[in-house]
Amino acid sequence: MVRVKSRYLLCEVNVPDRSRLLLLDDRAVAAAVREAVARIHGDYGAALCSSGFTVKYLNAHTGIVFLRLPKRSYRLLWSALPFISSIEARGQKVSCFLSCLHVGGTIRTCQKFLIQYNKQQLHRMLPKCKNPEEEQKIRRAILNCSVPGGNMEGLEDEDDDDDEEEEEE
Amino acid sequence: MSAAKVKMRGKKMRNQPVSVQYPSSSAQNGGDTPNPAGSFASARAAEVQAMLTAVTKTTGSCHVYGALPKHMRRRSMSHNTKRLPRRLRDVANRMREKSLQAGSKKKKEQPKSKSRKARRRHGNLLLEFNRRQRKNMWLETHIWHAKRFHMVKKWGYCLGDRPTYKCYRACYRAMSSHCLLQDLSYYCCIELQGEEDKLLACLSLLTSKETGPTFAAALSLSGRRQGSVVLYRAGQYPSQPLGPVTFLWRPRMQGTTHRQLWIWAHPTLKKDLLPELQTVCQCCEAVVPPVVPVVIPAGVVLTPEPESEKTPEAQQVTGTKRKHSGIYSTGELPPGTVLGLTVDDPRVTLPTKKVKALPCVKQAQEVDEEKRKELMLQGVPEHCCQSYLWEQSVRDNVTDNKISEQQLNRMKSEVLVPGSRLSPIPLQGRVPILLVHQPGKQVGHEMSSWGAGWDLLLPKGWGMAFWVPLVYRGVRIGGLNMTLKHSQNKGVSHFPHDYPDCPAGVRFQEEQESELLDKFKRRPPAKRTNYIKHGCLAPFRCPWEQLAEEWELITREAESQTTTEADTVMEEKMTSRRDITVTKPQSHVTVLRNRKSLRLLSGWCKPTTSKGQRRCRVGEVPPLDRSAATSFLATHVMSLVWVRLSLLSKGKPEFHAMVCVPTAEDLQLLKKGSSSTGPQEPPHKDHFKSRIKRKKKGNKKTSTPSLLPKTDSNESDLSSTSEPNPTTSKDPKSSSQSTSDLIFGLWPDPLPSVTSHCSRVTLGWVTQGDFSLSAGCGEALGFVSVAGLLNTFVNQPMEHRGTLLLRNPTSLHYRFAKINIEV
Repeated sequence: MVRVKSRYLLCEVNVPDRSRLLLLDDRAVAAAVREAVARIHGDYGAALCSSGFTVKYLNAHTGIVFLRLPKRSYRLLWSALPFISSIEARGQKVSCFLSCLHVGGTIRTCQKFLIQYNKQQLHRMLPKCKNPEEEQKIRRAILNCSVPGGNMEGLEDEDDDDDEEEEEE
Repeated sequence: MSAAKVKMRGKKMRNQPVSVQYPSSSAQNGGDTPNPAGSFASARAAEVQAMLTAVTKTTGSCHVYGALPKHMRRRSMSHNTKRLPRRLRDVANRMREKSLQAGSKKKKEQPKSKSRKARRRHGNLLLEFNRRQRKNMWLETHIWHAKRFHMVKKWGYCLGDRPTYKCYRACYRAMSSHCLLQDLSYYCCIELQGEEDKLLACLSLLTSKETGPTFAAALSLSGRRQGSVVLYRAGQYPSQPLGPVTFLWRPRMQGTTHRQLWIWAHPTLKKDLLPELQTVCQCCEAVVPPVVPVVIPAGVVLTPEPESEKTPEAQQVTGTKRKHSGIYSTGELPPGTVLGLTVDDPRVTLPTKKVKALPCVKQAQEVDEEKRKELMLQGVPEHCCQSYLWEQSVRDNVTDNKISEQQLNRMKSEVLVPGSRLSPIPLQGRVPILLVHQPGKQVGHEMSSWGAGWDLLLPKGWGMAFWVPLVYRGVRIGGLNMTLKHSQNKGVSHFPHDYPDCPAGVRFQEEQESELLDKFKRRPPAKRTNYIKHGCLAPFRCPWEQLAEEWELITREAESQTTTEADTVMEEKMTSRRDITVTKPQSHVTVLRNRKSLRLLSGWCKPTTSKGQRRCRVGEVPPLDRSAATSFLATHVMSLVWVRLSLLSKGKPEFHAMVCVPTAEDLQLLKKGSSSTGPQEPPHKDHFKSRIKRKKKGNKKTSTPSLLPKTDSNESDLSSTSEPNPTTSKDPKSSSQSTSDLIFGLWPDPLPSVTSHCSRVTLGWVTQGDFSLSAGCGEALGFVSVAGLLNTFVNQPMEHRGTLLLRNPTSLHYRFAKINIEV
């Protein structure tokens, strides 16, 4: 049998209130997506969603979601994602919107992208710090992120990485 | 996924990140607001770390080849590590060594590398056999049986159950008119030695005269007859029976009162019997600690039924007269007769081809009438019952000096004229044996002495030596199945199947129940018989105690209703019922074995012959009325009685068929003529089906939430609960807890009222039921409650007394049957 291919969508859940994020559950997110797809694309969309769609990973702190979609219909399902205005979790409605950051053929590519993205975010946060403690924290976080030496070589093909590292040290 | 697969998957996915989310209990509110940026940063950092480990750590394949990118891997790397880059070379070397070592490691068990020829050499085979015998003992004839029978492992022995070829009817014919042979060496023999009166005193504690002749009966005490008796726990008659045993006294020797007694017991009984004997025989001197069957002559016990005398070729009687001339059937001999003989080695006269056993009719003319009468009435004179088999020294001598097969074959090949007999019959070839007559059917009036036979007791080691020559003379061999059928046709209860009050019988019933239940569960639910719909409460196990208790209650109610004191009686009834339910009486069910009572009951049944048609003459029997019944029941509380039911017209009773009481309308049907086939039971409703369905759907619900609405079940009698909401999973969970043990098609414990569940009142159950080839109609053997039976008899009109209904557990049709209690 020829290899079964899927598409992995790296999305971020944006909420006005950060604490509400913590209520999220991967099942709640899946239910919200299914419901949105059914609303927009009707029964056909609902059927496409019934098999081959899963929430692979959810981080309630940062709001990162990995969605796995079948390759044949991922564009259709993707098009329904902007219509999600709220997610129902634990009896409470969390108003949010999903923004898609990356589409990958495997989870690994999404994970690699996420590393890069997070690093960029941290760097962007640095100048916005209000007090030195925060700055300390962020710097420490950045240091934690970057892994010394050889492991990074095999990972990325971009040169931004090296630039960033040099910048830090 | 199975547990192993789950483990493998866990190992494979150990580096992949798990979703970070909070469980439902701990939802934080406003814990983050003071420093959102810092915590956000730390969360991001943590996430990055997790992703890094996921991406960099590759699991699964050994990292030698995973570390190289795909375009640099080569096929020759697998056998030539020099093709790898230097940094990976030593790692690859280590991997190779490890895998090579694993392959060449020697296994610790018996090496399979031995060639087939080496494995089948005699010494190695013997070792193999001994190893296999550790758990289940093999009989001497095991290998012979294993080649021809389906073997079954029971009671610590490996026994032949039934032959691999179709021979049910042939075996039946052999049992009734020719010769059937069985190996009963698995019976345990216990030897007791001591002074006669002391032994008798001890053993009388274990038996009771009411059940029949005991150890002290004159004929069996002299050693001329074998006896059989039901043993009870010391002093506990009539409750707590242990089981039936057969025993044999050694004939009296001049000058001493020292006697030897052999008790033959079933292996399941041995466990219960030994401690009893030990406690009872504390005072006896020189009691040999009960000998394990290995040492005592493992008898090849034989049950042939030749029509006239036994085939004489295997025997050469020395010193005693030929006894069997003139006896036309072994049924004429007094039951239990013992004969002691010394015979020559039967392998010497082995015919080259199998021959058929023909009855010898020639010698019938030279019969001496007087001698014959003497034989019939008194049995064999005492000096003929003596045998050297009783002496341990002789037995051991004979076993040790047995000529091996190899030597015998060599002697045969060295004979001058090939095929002739070995003329100097070796003196070591004299074997002492004991022949014990087994009576056929003794109870009842029909088919008397069916299935009579002989038991052949041999010294240890001579099993195969006698077995093969007997088989060559045209004897049929039967397995455990045939033993059961033999008892069935004789109408006696077979141990351990038909002894529900003995501990061994109870154990056997439990095992049987679990086997049947397993078999039932293995079938898919849609293909099982729904016993609930058939109204069968206990297809696999008979709840005797519940039956007896319920009948006690019913009779007590009936009694109290006939008396005129209404109010006090009601109170009494209430209190008595409450007592019964509260105290849960310790009394176990017992089987009625008192001969007098059995005769009384049998007379009341109006015994009949041949399919319940001809009425038999019965001796003086007091008439049956309520007072007689109550007085009878007062002495025998909570008891069952062994009955034989023969169906009047059609029908084949099966295992655990129900015995029920016919109503007046049913008896009217019977009067109309033989064309009536009996009433029908209306099918019952299955209430548990809806519960099971709901439970299954509830299970499915909790795993995957679905938006599709649930369909309601068809049997909506009990579905008073509303349809559970797809999102909440509380309802199905609560119902699943209460109905966790439901098996589709069976009543769950505790059972409802056993007697009144169906439209006809239940009296008891059938333990052995089949179409009987000897009677020509369906026959069932089982137990009924004594209280129920008497109740029925009292209420039935004279001409129909003893007619009952029988219903198989898989059918709704009742069949008429006639009851017979045989004493």
